[in-house]
Amino acid sequence: MSTTTVPRFVRADGPDKVTGSGRYTADLTLTGTLVAKFKYAEVSHARIVRLDVSAARAIPGVFAVLTQDDVPDVRFGPFVQDRTLFARDVVRFEGEIVAAVAAIDVPTAQRALNAIVVEYAPLPVVNDIEEALASDSPLVHEGWSQYGAADVLVRERNDASFASIAKGDVERGLAEADTVVHSRYVADGCHAAPIEPRAVVAQWEGNKVTIWTTTQVPFDARAGVCETLEMPASRVRIIVPHLGGGFGGKCGFHYEAHVAALAKATKRPVRLVFSRREEFIAPDRRREGIVFDFETGVKADGTIVARKVWLAIDNGAYTADAGFFSQLAAMHALGPYQVPNALAEAHLVYTNHQPSGSVRAPTAPQTCWALESHTDEVAKAIGMDPVAFRIKNAVATGKEGPSGQVYDEIGLVDCIEAATARAGYGDDLPDDEAIGVAIGWWPSFSAASGAYVKIDGDGSGQIITGAQECGTGAVMTLRQLVADELGMQPEDFELVYQDTSAAPYDMGATGSQTLFNNGRAAIAAAGQIAEQLKQLAADMLEASPADIVLADGAASVAGTPSRSVPIAELAGIAAGGELLIGHGSGVPPTVQEVSGAMCIGDVGMTAWVAPQFSCHAVRVKLDKDTGVARVLHVSTAHDSGTIINRIGATGQVEGGVMMGIGQALTEGTRYNDEGQQRNAALLEYKLQTCADAPPIDIHFVEINTPNAGPRGAKGLAEAPNVATAAAIANAIAKIAGTPIRQLPMTAERVWETMNTEGSPA
Amino acid sequence: MSDIVNYHLTVNGVDYPVNAAQGRNLLSVIRTEVGLTGTKEGCDDCECGACMVLLDGQPVNSCSFLAVQAQGRAVTTVEGLQQGDEMHPLQRNILEEGGVQCGFCTPGMLLSATALLERNPSPTEEEVRIGLSGNLCRCTGYAKIVAAVQRTAAELHP
Repeated sequence: MSTTTVPRFVRADGPDKVTGSGRYTADLTLTGTLVAKFKYAEVSHARIVRLDVSAARAIPGVFAVLTQDDVPDVRFGPFVQDRTLFARDVVRFEGEIVAAVAAIDVPTAQRALNAIVVEYAPLPVVNDIEEALASDSPLVHEGWSQYGAADVLVRERNDASFASIAKGDVERGLAEADTVVHSRYVADGCHAAPIEPRAVVAQWEGNKVTIWTTTQVPFDARAGVCETLEMPASRVRIIVPHLGGGFGGKCGFHYEAHVAALAKATKRPVRLVFSRREEFIAPDRRREGIVFDFETGVKADGTIVARKVWLAIDNGAYTADAGFFSQLAAMHALGPYQVPNALAEAHLVYTNHQPSGSVRAPTAPQTCWALESHTDEVAKAIGMDPVAFRIKNAVATGKEGPSGQVYDEIGLVDCIEAATARAGYGDDLPDDEAIGVAIGWWPSFSAASGAYVKIDGDGSGQIITGAQECGTGAVMTLRQLVADELGMQPEDFELVYQDTSAAPYDMGATGSQTLFNNGRAAIAAAGQIAEQLKQLAADMLEASPADIVLADGAASVAGTPSRSVPIAELAGIAAGGELLIGHGSGVPPTVQEVSGAMCIGDVGMTAWVAPQFSCHAVRVKLDKDTGVARVLHVSTAHDSGTIINRIGATGQVEGGVMMGIGQALTEGTRYNDEGQQRNAALLEYKLQTCADAPPIDIHFVEINTPNAGPRGAKGLAEAPNVATAAAIANAIAKIAGTPIRQLPMTAERVWETMNTEGSPA
Repeated sequence: MSDIVNYHLTVNGVDYPVNAAQGRNLLSVIRTEVGLTGTKEGCDDCECGACMVLLDGQPVNSCSFLAVQAQGRAVTTVEGLQQGDEMHPLQRNILEEGGVQCGFCTPGMLLSATALLERNPSPTEEEVRIGLSGNLCRCTGYAKIVAAVQRTAAELHP
């Protein structure tokens, strides 16, 4: 076995993906499979006066038509139990499911949808976040106070979750400041938009159901099926074939129960495949629109003395996983700054829009955009360079952040210095170009996670993990960690993953947590096998297990390489005795509780274990006649701790930056007066293309992070999405002479801003 | 139904008899009647490029092309890129450069790149970027895909 050169990392699922042999959920067909289709509300808020599916059920080739009457009457939701599988009495957004059909083919299913009779009595549409908070606003949920909800949530009428972070005395701080800057910003909602639309296939055998689905979180999906169909976990198996991207959009529990219910009713396998329009309107995972109001007080020398923020998040019609967004957004609004006197108040507001949910760093890119635009306004107001202002006020090792957490070793200032230096910040540029700079942060999520490792008699192994691969390569990297533990090669291991009945629990491809937590689990599992191998080798080589070294595919006595036995030979011996099986979980790292701040609606978001930091410096060219901005170059510096898989890590930064550019310039959902999306198609909702993509420079500030994931790693997948739009905004504002107060900063908005608020000098 | 027609398609050099409704698009016939699922559906609206195939070497979005119109023409899908056990250099390079993440755009991307290198064996970076601009990728930010195409061009036409 040669280890002379470190091979390029080639992902284990790669050959399947480049040859077309890899199966995604929509590629699966089982004998007798029926087609599922949903009947959507189409209107944003109405009472169901009549729902008659009898004509649809009578169509030949239609095997089932289900409504809420046909499933257990369960209200569900991870934070607020405000939702049912199908609409009951009232519909609250256009993509709400009223009925589901299973039919022999697509045309028959479509005929059945057309034959469903629904009559609505219109209810007032709650279409504006701020108006929804008014005490006389129509309610999205008349029965909100009767819903079950997490105890920590502070709820009132359309406010589904109020949270605040308060430290020091913000009013006194503002009063004592030399300069106070007040800013308002509004960010539109936008979409995860994975290229693979959602798909679900369900099949029953006896009283057990197997569901193949495009989820990022198989165990969450299973829990949702169990809750809504009232089944034990032991009878629900979730399998995820190759997953065609998620970006948070495929987190949570979606349509697995609907399809399982159809399959049960028809006694046939049933397959659901979403159209692109359904992808836009139906899932409860849209990035949330937010309205922001900032006040920051500074001393003449540039020291921040107080910051006060009010913000309101568009929750949409149902709460989904957004219950923690208010406090998370409050943290992002205060930002990675030393703020002695702080008050952030955040509302999560019901509207009759598509529900919000975790999309790649939920709340962070748009809040960072608003805060960092505001920060440049503050620096400008006191005549200070915005980079120097950030370095002066940013959180740093041993310093206290806005929620009272005192940070261990962190590299934010290193990020600022590296990104700006590599961007050539300060160099002369043409009048229509500028470099904008922004800083961001994001938590690492510490969670329980499990994996098994086994080595078979031929010396090849398997890693059986509960972790989910959504494209990032995090699961693929487990082979490297396990191989290193055992002195073997990554190629010696097969990955068995994305099957809830095969593997132990993992939270899924969410919160950038896979390598952070499942890496720990896989290393622990491999460690058990390492102990077994060392004992076997010690017996054979007449040495102490403590002196056995596992390297290059062999177990050797330390200092005496001639006394050595191949691991494959040990595996052969073990195959006839005590098998080589390891299981691992490890203890999730914990963070010290903070006591410096008073928090209402505290969901545990104010203190972050192994926080990630970033600085992006982006050079933008703006056509002042048209308002069209073009990103010329992006310089990124990230403190994500130790980088274990460099090619995977740079891929995350490049992808996250491109998503951020889209969010900055073109991606935003527009609503009509009835709360319906006006641009629910890729022609009207423009993703960035290959021709739009600028060069992206990547620098990792690798510092020794205490209390982190394996080898000092932090999360990474979401962080690159945080500061991109903000940095672009600050470049545009420099050229335009004024900030653009709406996100996305479309050409129309830039042009209008330049022509109504005064053009640059 | 009366609009069912019988015809033949040649996909990756193999003749397939097809028995399908006249209005069916090429994507759906490839994925069901022909039985090759490497070609993906991302939008059914000519916007994402996941369904890209080659027709006589020309890239087309198969979601918006009638299958009956492909009669008598050579259809190439991602399954047809590999020759025997050897991956096409584009397939190998996109893997080694890290240009594959979720992989859903990859088949369409590979076919667009194949067509590009066929008509322009030594494209500049700008020409690669324009050549692939009909294929949306949400994961990679495109840099590693562009690098893979450039590396392939350099290998094939040093």
